[in-house]
Amino acid sequence: MDALSAFFTVFTDLKLLSLVALGTFAGVYIGAIPGLSVTMAVSILISFTFSWDVHPAIALMIGIFMGGVYGGSRTAILLNIPGAPSAIATAMDGYPMAQRGEAGTAIGITTVMSFFGGFIGIIVLALAAPSVSQFALTFQPRDYMLLAILGILLVGSLSGESLVKGIFSGAFGILIGMVGMDPLTFTGRFTYDLPLMQSGISFIAVMIGMFGVSEALAQLHHLDTPAIKQKITRIVPSFGTIKKYLPLSLQTSSIGVIIGALPGTGGDIAALMAYDHAKRVTRKPSRPFGKGAIEGLVAPETANNAAVGGAFIPMMTLGIPGDAVTAIMIGALFIHGLNPGPMLMVEQPDMFWFIVGSLVVANFFMLIFGLTGIKLFTKVVEMPRAVLIPMIMLLSIVGAYATNNSITDVYWMLAFGVLGYFMRTYGYPLGPVILGVILSRLLDDNWRRAIISEREDLGRFFHGIVTSPLSLILFLAVIFIFFSQTPLWTRLKARLLPARNEEAR
Amino acid sequence: MSPTDHDTEALQDEVTDLHEHARDTRRPGEAGFTILLLLASLFLLWSAYDISGFEALSAPGTLPMVTTLIMVITGGLIMLRTIKLPPVSGETFGQNILPMALVIMAVLLVCYGLLLKPLGFLPTSMLFLTISIKLLWRQGWVKTLGVSFLVLVIIYVVFRIIFTVLMPSGIFPEAEMLQFFRNLIGGGA
Repeated sequence: MDALSAFFTVFTDLKLLSLVALGTFAGVYIGAIPGLSVTMAVSILISFTFSWDVHPAIALMIGIFMGGVYGGSRTAILLNIPGAPSAIATAMDGYPMAQRGEAGTAIGITTVMSFFGGFIGIIVLALAAPSVSQFALTFQPRDYMLLAILGILLVGSLSGESLVKGIFSGAFGILIGMVGMDPLTFTGRFTYDLPLMQSGISFIAVMIGMFGVSEALAQLHHLDTPAIKQKITRIVPSFGTIKKYLPLSLQTSSIGVIIGALPGTGGDIAALMAYDHAKRVTRKPSRPFGKGAIEGLVAPETANNAAVGGAFIPMMTLGIPGDAVTAIMIGALFIHGLNPGPMLMVEQPDMFWFIVGSLVVANFFMLIFGLTGIKLFTKVVEMPRAVLIPMIMLLSIVGAYATNNSITDVYWMLAFGVLGYFMRTYGYPLGPVILGVILSRLLDDNWRRAIISEREDLGRFFHGIVTSPLSLILFLAVIFIFFSQTPLWTRLKARLLPARNEEAR
Repeated sequence: MSPTDHDTEALQDEVTDLHEHARDTRRPGEAGFTILLLLASLFLLWSAYDISGFEALSAPGTLPMVTTLIMVITGGLIMLRTIKLPPVSGETFGQNILPMALVIMAVLLVCYGLLLKPLGFLPTSMLFLTISIKLLWRQGWVKTLGVSFLVLVIIYVVFRIIFTVLMPSGIFPEAEMLQFFRNLIGGGA
């Protein structure tokens, strides 16, 4: 009963309600501003909320988190610059829609689907947290390693031009993620005895450079193109539209919750996996994927918001962060004298239900703020590019600097910006680079744990994979995803499934 | 207002930049870029070997070696394919890949990075915005300065005041200025 009252605390306390609303509103715009990450915002928030009571502090952070995951989609749609990594997949179809003057439709769909996905995530968090966390507990290091490889192999189907370029970009991302001191042996990796390399390369700097600066540089080619005035006639999608995409959103919400619940993975990977799933299962998309398919918006947006609820599962029940933001929130809970982990739900279930209640409220505020003020927001794209480009560059510099208050991060960002420009010019996908950086730690740590547990014996390692049902499924999925992206599979599919190909045509 | 045909064409180019399919031609400078990537990958493979060699499967250098080896293999494949492709007609490196506006902006960004610490956030940003907007927008000085100032004020209020992001103050008496405004507000209260 006490736990239930904790759930309704945030609904009845005006101060807490206002803080969730403020957090969500700020989160939407922070997530939308290129160069400002939710992770950064929440970490800054900790510094001035540690003297607050735990409830207001957590309420504000949850609002920022929920709003920020959604907000990244706005600039992804309007500027082709994902405000957050979780919106990388959204840009692929959202931006082409904006280019057709359908930004309002795209934003409306992403908002409603984000709400839907967020709600699914919260329901799963509330109802199935113990069982899902127990499932995640059964994962062996080799399973996490296979999961990371699976994620990286998805680059092939996301890369567009060529699988080889996608793999090169993914490997390059992993390499960037490994620069610095090895956390297990404190051996320098790619540091060349330079002190500035020992702390590694800031992921935020890489992301801002690759997506912010390189995009701004690429936009210089189109300075004379008049800004498109977005014709926003319909923001709220019709019931028919929502109903049409409900089955897909249910599937991708499930992907979002599961991926979000796996420690070390988050909304970014969930969105990419959901996008890939949508590409595979949608036989007749509204438009081809990459050219403004609504399915390409529905999938990542439901998944990344569903992943928010999912990310709280391991955080609350195991004390393991689901993603970077929940990692920071674990720190915040510690600061407030709480001990996230298996005992938290036993000893302080009210805290768990307070978080669930805050997430529900934040989700509703996200829907309200998402469907209002869009016209004002789209004015951004009507700004002359000659003003917008320097502004994005300046925002990128401030965002990179603000992460660690380090000028080195600004230099990294600039270097990756120039490199990213050339990579995109010559058809190298940039998404896999970021995916590689995110997954590198997961891959490295778990490969080493797995091989050490098998006494450095590759034979035993593979024996472990084939004898464990979970590992075997993941391993076969890796093989299938790789194989399904080769020309051999295309030829085989054409020969085996001529009727289906004809129908699709 | 729907985009004109000209706009649509230009915007389709942008989409192609990001989501293009396998090309059957080589863009200017592409062969050189792939060779550079391959050489960098080879150097990184050597660096990865240098971390711990073949010490153990769980050694800190094992995964870096695998990763860089993948880069060398895929980089080599990309280079071989790219070199075989015929060059695209009607494109030049100076016009389509690295136009003067892009070089100037890149130089301005580097200058910004170099001047940020000694000059401080406000003067450097104002300089950067003014020069870049003037060069790209080609409007009068009053309009350029006005827009630059407005953009800087918005960014300053959001980042420095609301998010309290610390930026280098440099030569500008930023702390004194903020204190002056605080006194002004405090005095009025």
